[in-house]
Amino acid sequence: MSLLSIRDLHATVGGNEILKGINLEIGPGEIHAVMGPNGSGKSTLSYVLAGREGYEVTRGTIAFKGKDLIDLAADERANEGVFLAFQYPVEVPGVVGMTFLREAYNAKLRYLGKQEIDAMEFLKFVRSRAKTLNMSDDMLKRAVNVGFSGGEKKRNEILQMAVLEPDLAILDETDSGLDIDALKLVSDGVNELRSENRSMLIITHYQRLLNYIQPDHVHVLAHGKIQRSGGKELALELEAKGYAEFSEEAA
Amino acid sequence: MALQPVAKLPFEGLIADARSHKLGKWHSKLSERALEQYAEIGWPGPKTESWKYTSLNKIASGTFSLAREYSAIVPEDMIMPLTCPRLVLVNGVLNKELSNLEQLIGNLSITSLVDIEDHQKTFFDDLFKSEESKGDLPLTYLNTAILSDAVMLEITEGSKCELPLHIISIGSGNGITFAPRLIVNVGIGAKVDFIESHVGCSDSVYFSNSVTQLYLGDNSEVGHYKLQNDSRDSSHISLTRAVIDDGASYDNFTMSVGAKLSRNEVRAHLKGSGVECCINGAYLGAADQHIDNTTFIEHQAEGSSSREVFKGVLDDTARGVFQGKILVHPEAQKTDGYQMNRAMLLSDKAEIDSKPELEIYADDVRCSHGATVGELEDELIFYLCARGIDRESARRMLIGAYISDAIDEVKNIDIRSSIQSVAENWLKQNLYEK
Repeated sequence: MSLLSIRDLHATVGGNEILKGINLEIGPGEIHAVMGPNGSGKSTLSYVLAGREGYEVTRGTIAFKGKDLIDLAADERANEGVFLAFQYPVEVPGVVGMTFLREAYNAKLRYLGKQEIDAMEFLKFVRSRAKTLNMSDDMLKRAVNVGFSGGEKKRNEILQMAVLEPDLAILDETDSGLDIDALKLVSDGVNELRSENRSMLIITHYQRLLNYIQPDHVHVLAHGKIQRSGGKELALELEAKGYAEFSEEAA
Repeated sequence: MALQPVAKLPFEGLIADARSHKLGKWHSKLSERALEQYAEIGWPGPKTESWKYTSLNKIASGTFSLAREYSAIVPEDMIMPLTCPRLVLVNGVLNKELSNLEQLIGNLSITSLVDIEDHQKTFFDDLFKSEESKGDLPLTYLNTAILSDAVMLEITEGSKCELPLHIISIGSGNGITFAPRLIVNVGIGAKVDFIESHVGCSDSVYFSNSVTQLYLGDNSEVGHYKLQNDSRDSSHISLTRAVIDDGASYDNFTMSVGAKLSRNEVRAHLKGSGVECCINGAYLGAADQHIDNTTFIEHQAEGSSSREVFKGVLDDTARGVFQGKILVHPEAQKTDGYQMNRAMLLSDKAEIDSKPELEIYADDVRCSHGATVGELEDELIFYLCARGIDRESARRMLIGAYISDAIDEVKNIDIRSSIQSVAENWLKQNLYEK
């Protein structure tokens, strides 16, 4: 059974239809990459999956672990195990990183009917995860993302993912704005989190991220629909030929 | 609709009443003089520049009588949550039974006007006079004219008070007015922290016209923290005036959450050089509350610094006013002044009026000011929700963080966390999505 099953998904933003019938099946442990030109609906897809307000599903279904996601609020989806790593992580002034992580972690425990975690135990747990991503204690003591560099923000996203241990991680343009060292660090962090129980949906414009995080399947999204699917060699082909063929189809 | 006629001089009728009331002959003279000054300036109206954004019409046209009851039950859930010695005023009069001053050490003396003979009161004369020569403060004159008591705290030279002192002013009764008056005299090199909690008994509706005046001796260190949590349908108008000598430091913070109409006016006169003065505050308003914070910082001597950080959150049709004036005299070279007011509006109908004003006559100074107004961004809320935090909690966290930025300015750590808990309670009680 698929972990995530998207069927004939149509969605509008501000009255404009952006997604026009997406079909996508992601099995447990699989890594799928969705590639496409700018404006193809890639980020819309990630927001629709994460449950952002203003992104309205007009037709189709999204089943996650057999449950209908569409009726769940964003926080409920997160607690069910959907994680979105933001393309532009938001600065959260005044909310300390460690506090933020603990609130999120405990929210999930409460949702699952479990007892909240002891603060010291949690601190140790977070530190062990932060170490892999080369994040200092100081970064965890600061307000979330405030004054962070682009690379630090992306690492912080991956740290949150490592702590919240989702079943499905959606990585929205995680490579954007990263230099080669930061890209490597972030990719190592992501690869560390690969497991047979964790699926990933990697949304990217460029192929280069896929050199570091190898996908099982690659899909091309254009004009609100998946136009082609294939293995990782499809990414290389796109890298060589560009997206021209998909924009011609529109014309 | 015909406007209700506003008395030429509101509360005039109560003044004669007040004279024969509690303080005897000595007060009669003082009160007469105060009435003259009050009459000369008159009640602040829409054309009074410093009251442009805050209308006192409702108070002027209301019917009030003088409070005559001076006992009440302390509303523990309204005051600043702190365990320390207390001094309780009920309707402006010191209530010793409710006060608890045993833990205070001998270097702090407390004198109530009610307790002393007329001939001893002459000492207070000068204090009142010096206060009233300061000009355009009609409500301060009114306070003097209708006093029922005044409490003076003196901290002797060089003494360090380990425990803060909590002054609780309780309003109790309907349709009453009262005039709390505090005088704080801090000796050279002394150190003290005190808190004012202004609260009301449940359902009481009153007009509290409060004045606190402070004198900070050379090199003294004073923390002065106030919670305005008066009954929801009441009015709170207050003036805090601090005169600060060489090398002293004054840390002032006002947390305003109560009353329907409130004004916290803080005036700091930096008479000495090398003074460090912080006038900070936070305000949280919902429903039809009106919260005014007006500050005036006067730099008179060289090398002093002042800092102001105000933050507010306004929901529903609540309205906030911030007026901040910094005056730098020609001799006040090397002045360092900073002022910032930030407000977050949670509803389309909430409003903030911000008026910074710098008047600088010295050439070698550094002064800056700013004001911002914003709303809670959906993107931020979504970010927290996408991590599993529900919308309500997310809003509370974000707004709490916004406000705590100002509360973090409070230097006394225990009091800082007390103020923090007042803010959190307010958020729990008032923030639900409509």
